[in-house]
Amino acid sequence: MNQKELQHLYWRAGFGMLPKVYTANSKSRKDVVDALFVNSKAISPIHIDLSYLDGINPMDFKKYPSLAKEINEKNIKSILELNYKWIEQLIQPKEVLRERMTLFWANHFVCRDRNPKYAQQYNNTLRYYALGDFRAFVKAISKEAAMLRYLNGKQNRKHKPNENFARELMELFTLGEGQYSEKDIKESARAFTGYNHDFEGNFRLREFQHDNESKTFLGHIGKFDGDDIIDIILENKQCALFISDKIYRYFVNPVPNKNHIEAMADVFFKDYNIENLIRFVFMSDWFYDEVNIGAKIKSPIEFLVGMANTIPVEFENKKDLIKIQKLLGQTLLDPPNVAGWKGDKAWIDANTIMVRLKLASLLFNNAVISLKEHGDFNDSFREKYFKRSKDKLPFKTLPNWEAFLDNFNSIETENLHEYIIQGNLNKGTADYLESLSKKSKQDYCIQLMSLPEYQMC
Amino acid sequence: MDRRKFIKDSALASSLFFVPSFVKAFESVAAAQLGYKRLVIVQLAGGNDGLNTIIPHNNDIYYNARPRLAITKDIIKLNDDLGFHSSLSPLRALYDNGELSILNNVGYPNPVRSHFRSMDIWQTASDSDEYLQSGWLGRYLDAHGKKPYNAIEMDEQLSLAMKGEHFNGIATNDYKVLYRTAKDPYFKNVLNHYNDAHLSEHNLGYLYQTLIEAKSSAKYIYENTKVRLSQQEYPQNKFAKQLKNVAQFINSGLETKVFYTSLGGFDTHANQQNKQARLLKQYAESVSAFVKDLKQNGTFNDTLILTFSEFGRRVKQNAANGTDHGAANNVFIIGKNLKKAGFYNSLASLSDLDTNGDLKYEIDFRSVYATVLSKWMNVSTEGIINSKQKTLNFI
Repeated sequence: MNQKELQHLYWRAGFGMLPKVYTANSKSRKDVVDALFVNSKAISPIHIDLSYLDGINPMDFKKYPSLAKEINEKNIKSILELNYKWIEQLIQPKEVLRERMTLFWANHFVCRDRNPKYAQQYNNTLRYYALGDFRAFVKAISKEAAMLRYLNGKQNRKHKPNENFARELMELFTLGEGQYSEKDIKESARAFTGYNHDFEGNFRLREFQHDNESKTFLGHIGKFDGDDIIDIILENKQCALFISDKIYRYFVNPVPNKNHIEAMADVFFKDYNIENLIRFVFMSDWFYDEVNIGAKIKSPIEFLVGMANTIPVEFENKKDLIKIQKLLGQTLLDPPNVAGWKGDKAWIDANTIMVRLKLASLLFNNAVISLKEHGDFNDSFREKYFKRSKDKLPFKTLPNWEAFLDNFNSIETENLHEYIIQGNLNKGTADYLESLSKKSKQDYCIQLMSLPEYQMC
Repeated sequence: MDRRKFIKDSALASSLFFVPSFVKAFESVAAAQLGYKRLVIVQLAGGNDGLNTIIPHNNDIYYNARPRLAITKDIIKLNDDLGFHSSLSPLRALYDNGELSILNNVGYPNPVRSHFRSMDIWQTASDSDEYLQSGWLGRYLDAHGKKPYNAIEMDEQLSLAMKGEHFNGIATNDYKVLYRTAKDPYFKNVLNHYNDAHLSEHNLGYLYQTLIEAKSSAKYIYENTKVRLSQQEYPQNKFAKQLKNVAQFINSGLETKVFYTSLGGFDTHANQQNKQARLLKQYAESVSAFVKDLKQNGTFNDTLILTFSEFGRRVKQNAANGTDHGAANNVFIIGKNLKKAGFYNSLASLSDLDTNGDLKYEIDFRSVYATVLSKWMNVSTEGIINSKQKTLNFI
């Protein structure tokens, strides 16, 4: 694999890569892809300290309102804590592909819960199944406390069915719109009646609320339960096609290619094994086509994590991480609704494009993007101006430039753009970069990160 | 920082000359802008308790359901049944002038009592079992927007309401900062060198295109906003500041059709009384100052203000002297020449409640949107409001 292909693979399977890793150059595609999967075999769940919930039972909240209030405040903090932990794990992943897949699934099986215990458990379930058996995955999701709360599964009872989960199961999670009737929704909702969870977040089937009668669903008749419904859905190849389409748009190109997606669906439909599907994508020649390289607009998290991979940075005030996510339009654990973030062009509006182009300089260089041209040393008063305004900067950060210089030690500054930018530079922009002074590798890195081109991967 | 100092600083910062084009901005806007209809949205976030805002002061059920929370004192009685919370006294004049229409019992079928989801429904104008990825004002922009500044949100980031399928408004809580950000000389240099005839045909082109528009919108707002204009005093709070900026934009004649403002904190589960009184006071004083400001500048005739909250609150109070999440609620429409000022309809029955003990809705909020779109903005609702909605007669 050449450097360009490696970089492409690593931007899609992870969040970019450091030149240090390029020693893999001589390796075959198979070796590199195999290594990605081997390195993601293990699972590192996220754990935040939730010991304040130990020994508390739901009755206590009713009895002691002040305790309820205190717990509530701690829960709000814990959700933030979970957000930081997740971002940390994305920046320093032990299993890079697994983390990338977890992020993908979080915007597929979209869920939002303000209870940190259930939110953490849900997040770890995504991580656990991220590369596994899709069938078991969907079944596990249908029984997650957070999902039962989010889509009213626990309000779905024999004599008062709630269709919310059944509808989204088909529309957003497995088949896509228009592949089933309203009758199918009603019937399948009955199969999920009685699904509930205990205070700890474990699944509980409340037998007396479960509808044991016969259901007619997608042409099948039987006394189905929720798992049966999921099995019937997966018998339909449309499900493999729907997931393949989504994976293609996310991992390959936002513009779908029917032939490639159908080839993926053929692979996926065999056993619904996610690892096999992703391996097929990364091994395909078309994955490395010129048209796919740098074709994707980075999500805010890809953008932020990618920058922090290149220039390690510490946030003095963790809350800044939340602020940045908000400004960029994607706060982890806080999706807009069950349809998730729309992605692609929808990431970009007049505000987010400016925040994005400013962010590298704000995080790493006191908001300065150097304008020095060849032989130009008169930019100092501009730098002084920005130095004076340092206290007014919105974020307090400690960039680790030594690590950056060490990681990019082997790269000539003139060639840095080949490692920082995916895809092609606009011709005029390339000419402009040409004219800039390359005295400082740091300055050039920030200049590159402040380009529209850097928003692509 | 005043403008003169600011220009000096930014010139210093960028070593670029900045030539203000005030001439254009100071031209009389009245003639050119006449009939340019604008919509101002006020979002009361958290679920305002409508029953303690517009009080059914003659209703025993109300008093029985809220033994310690029902308002008994200083009600501004507007008719035999309903009256203002005393904090709304600044709005009394609007009511008397026929410039305020109160729509009771506004909501939607199968109401959701989660703040988050219900706000999402109000912003996207979806059904309660439907999930949309664009907002109703964003879809308006898809069809009728030309520049991001056609819709401005007075915040740091855009709400879903203002995001369309392929066109978005712009957010700013400080247009000078926005301008200063946009005019970083590095961006200018990059854009000056950028050469591609095929902007927006591919993703990278779209990024450049959006940057160009962001820059020009920030510049447009900055250069066309008149600084010393308002003689109107505003209260000292963040919400008032939002409205003050909106008035500044409107009175400067910006070509902005939609402004989005927000006041939060209405989630009064406990000790509601003082909290709500304070928030309603902020709301009423700020809106009153805003309307006066517009009137002084002759722009009130072409401005419509719509105030909503994601839901009302339960009729029965809770044990903590607060109220829990409810359903249908009132919506305020403020403007000149309203077709039906005062109370558009009467309050729904307090005895015939839904199974949760909440008010049943009578007017679908999307028919309020549809009315504003077709009768005020003069556009078709097609593609903006997905469900079939009848139009109402308040404007």
